[in-house]
Amino acid sequence: MRIKIALAGNPNSGKTTLFNALTGSNQFVGNWPGVTVEKKEGGLKGHKDVTLTDLPGIYSLSPYTLEEVVARNYLLKEKPDAILNIVDGTNLERNLYLTTQLLELGIPVVVAVNMMDVVNKNGDKIHVKKLAEELGCEVVEISALKGTGIKEAANRAVALAEQKKAMKSVHTFSSRIEEALNAIEAKLPDSVPEEQRRFFAIKLFERDDKVKEQLKPVPDVEDIVTAAEEELDDDSESIITNERYTFISSIITDCYTKKSKNKQTISDKIDRIVTNRWLALPIFAVVMFVVYFVSVTTVGTILTDWTNDGLFGDGWHLLDIGAAEYADASDAYSLERTKIDAYLAAAEESGIDVEAVTEALDPETENPDASAVTAFEEEAAAAGIEGTAEIYNDEGEIEETFPVSLEDFQTAAQAEEPDPANYGVWVPGLPGLIKSGLESINCAPWLEGLILDGIVAGVGAVLGFVPQMLVLFIFLAFLESCGYMARIAFIMDRIFRKFGLSGKSFIPMLIGTGCGIPGVMASRTIENERDRRMTIMTTTFIPCGAKLPIIALIAGALFHNAWWVAPSAYFVGIAAIVVSGIILKKTKMFSGEPAPFVMELPAYHWPTVGNVLRSMWERGWSFIKKAGTVILLSTIFIWFVSNFGVVDGQFQMVEDLSDGLLAVIGRFIAPIFSPLGWGEWRASVAAITGLVAKENVVGTFGILYGFAEVAENGWEIWGTLSSSFTGLSAYSFLVFNLLCAPCFAAMGAIKREMNSAKWFWFAIGYQTIFAYLVSMCVYQIGMLVTAGSFGVATVISLIVLVAFFYLLFRPYKESQRLEKEVRV
Amino acid sequence: MEFLANNWGSLLVGAILLVVVGSIVLRQIKNHKQGKSSCGRGCSNCPMEGKCHK
Repeated sequence: MRIKIALAGNPNSGKTTLFNALTGSNQFVGNWPGVTVEKKEGGLKGHKDVTLTDLPGIYSLSPYTLEEVVARNYLLKEKPDAILNIVDGTNLERNLYLTTQLLELGIPVVVAVNMMDVVNKNGDKIHVKKLAEELGCEVVEISALKGTGIKEAANRAVALAEQKKAMKSVHTFSSRIEEALNAIEAKLPDSVPEEQRRFFAIKLFERDDKVKEQLKPVPDVEDIVTAAEEELDDDSESIITNERYTFISSIITDCYTKKSKNKQTISDKIDRIVTNRWLALPIFAVVMFVVYFVSVTTVGTILTDWTNDGLFGDGWHLLDIGAAEYADASDAYSLERTKIDAYLAAAEESGIDVEAVTEALDPETENPDASAVTAFEEEAAAAGIEGTAEIYNDEGEIEETFPVSLEDFQTAAQAEEPDPANYGVWVPGLPGLIKSGLESINCAPWLEGLILDGIVAGVGAVLGFVPQMLVLFIFLAFLESCGYMARIAFIMDRIFRKFGLSGKSFIPMLIGTGCGIPGVMASRTIENERDRRMTIMTTTFIPCGAKLPIIALIAGALFHNAWWVAPSAYFVGIAAIVVSGIILKKTKMFSGEPAPFVMELPAYHWPTVGNVLRSMWERGWSFIKKAGTVILLSTIFIWFVSNFGVVDGQFQMVEDLSDGLLAVIGRFIAPIFSPLGWGEWRASVAAITGLVAKENVVGTFGILYGFAEVAENGWEIWGTLSSSFTGLSAYSFLVFNLLCAPCFAAMGAIKREMNSAKWFWFAIGYQTIFAYLVSMCVYQIGMLVTAGSFGVATVISLIVLVAFFYLLFRPYKESQRLEKEVRV
Repeated sequence: MEFLANNWGSLLVGAILLVVVGSIVLRQIKNHKQGKSSCGRGCSNCPMEGKCHK
């Protein structure tokens, strides 16, 4: 017969780790019926007929949260054969509160004291036998992380379950309460099983409404409860709670020996610095700066360069064999091409037609016309043309100049482009392989264009940033797992409180650094409706993983990987949240006192490599999957609408993208973005496609500007992108895409959480208008300061800036309160 | 027949593309109907595990 064992315990007690260890891959995940709380069940390893059910992490069996109700209903209705109660050995006093309630259910309980490795390391001692005696149940020491004691705990639970004996709680309350409980028990209907009568009696004494729903008929016990309350001078729930804690305190005194009562733990010592009143924020700023700098600008860039130039580019030399020789040959060839370009430029300047010779000398030209070159050389010799070549460094500055004679030109014209395959082991990139494959089967040019210039260019541009994202995700996973992220919410509480929010509102934003959707969902923990709506509206200002390619693109391609660009994107998000919070809290819609903020700070610990890598891979894989689905569909659509248009009254494939349908639409909407500095159709279209998925901005760039332009991060790209972006307009573009309405999926989450069309559109409108105004101010005021440019948009930006400051610094008036005297 | 012989490469590539696109679209619709989260990632390392979606 199948045995059911329930795994119950506080959040952060190690329940999931224990569950994973006991069930391995034999687990399945579903939903508790009727609610969106995840249900995990698994077969216990080594026991064929035993099912382990992981209950939601709860602090008690009170009826206040969904998790508590779900856990309690399961225990009362499903009646598992045993409960494996996991308690955190480093926090015994708080964890035992739930234990005392579980022991009243009549179900056999095994208490597994977890984190014994930490307890022993601290030099503390738990007297397990004494604890078992005091609690009246079996107690086992375990360390779920290290894997010690877990089999024994499971075996004990199975043995108890097989005995099928109901358990009676040994804990008794004071005599007055016991008297009341006995009276209530006597009034319970017969349908309540014997082993659960005490539990129901206690719950009725506490006036638990959820329990009343399960009783038919509901006994009238109000007079019993009221009498006890009057005699003990406290409300019933507090009476029970206080008695439980008194019992727990007595247990702790007998069963727990701390090595040094006043000794600070390592976590406490670290927190003295990390959450210090003055140091906390600078430390936080430095940490996030390092995270983004390393991910995007240094380590991430090295890996992304290989992905863009190698995998999605021309290819790469395996293990760099032959790379150095090829680089030398390539540099020599580039020098020859520079001489050719310089000589042709000089010839053109003196009036010689260079069109034919330019085409003849173009390496891509098939069957070059040698006679065009000969004719040009004769003409140049007669005119005595001399050119001047300029060599540029990586920053685009002239490093060297030298003269180019006709002899130099003739020598350079003979130079052949080196084939990387002739040096070492060359692995061709995906585009080259795909192109060869398509050409070999005579694929139609338009289909080849769709695949190479649409799908590969678009999806490849996005996937090129996977390495940077993986590095970022490793950092975020580390910060989450070690416990520092929890401190950030605590740190931000001090700032948030100054403008009427609490640190609770920052937790969704922390979660939003991965993806905005769970970030928006996390706002459910905020009880105050106004604060919750404001949190939903501002959560997506924090750059999510999908926005990282945009940050990396702007930082790499348009700012030459300047160290400050990527971290500044994160802080722009934080600033937007703080500024929005201050402005909105001063409006009647959102005014009110901040909610209290109580949060458990878990102890610091080194995260396991497995956990960090798993978290990194999960997030990274979801990004890659999205690239292969949503982004792929988007790139196909964008390629079609950009490569097809109406030419001479006919709808057909266009030669120039500027004639395509997308360009027509883009030119129509582009003027909207002119005040922001990027009123060009490609940039405007890219921003709009970002609504489908933020990565699309980069994918669209890849298609409309060409993948090579997007992948390069040298000054060469300015040749094309400079027509659309200056440094200032690029930063304005970045700010707009960071702050404007999020992707459709996140908008869906906002709509669900707001549960009101009016509030949904208000949120989207606020984010978009805020992004527009901030970007406009960045560009216009930046142009005023750097170039002295002044126009209508500058005036509007200055007015907007003044308005921002006014809204920020105007005095806060609490919402009107209705006060009325009531005689009791 | 001549058309098929001359364009079999394009037809093959086109068919593969259609199948891929079709399956992506159907999968997205199916996920949407099942209420699966569009954040796309697994839950075990997410702070919203068990609270976010089915």
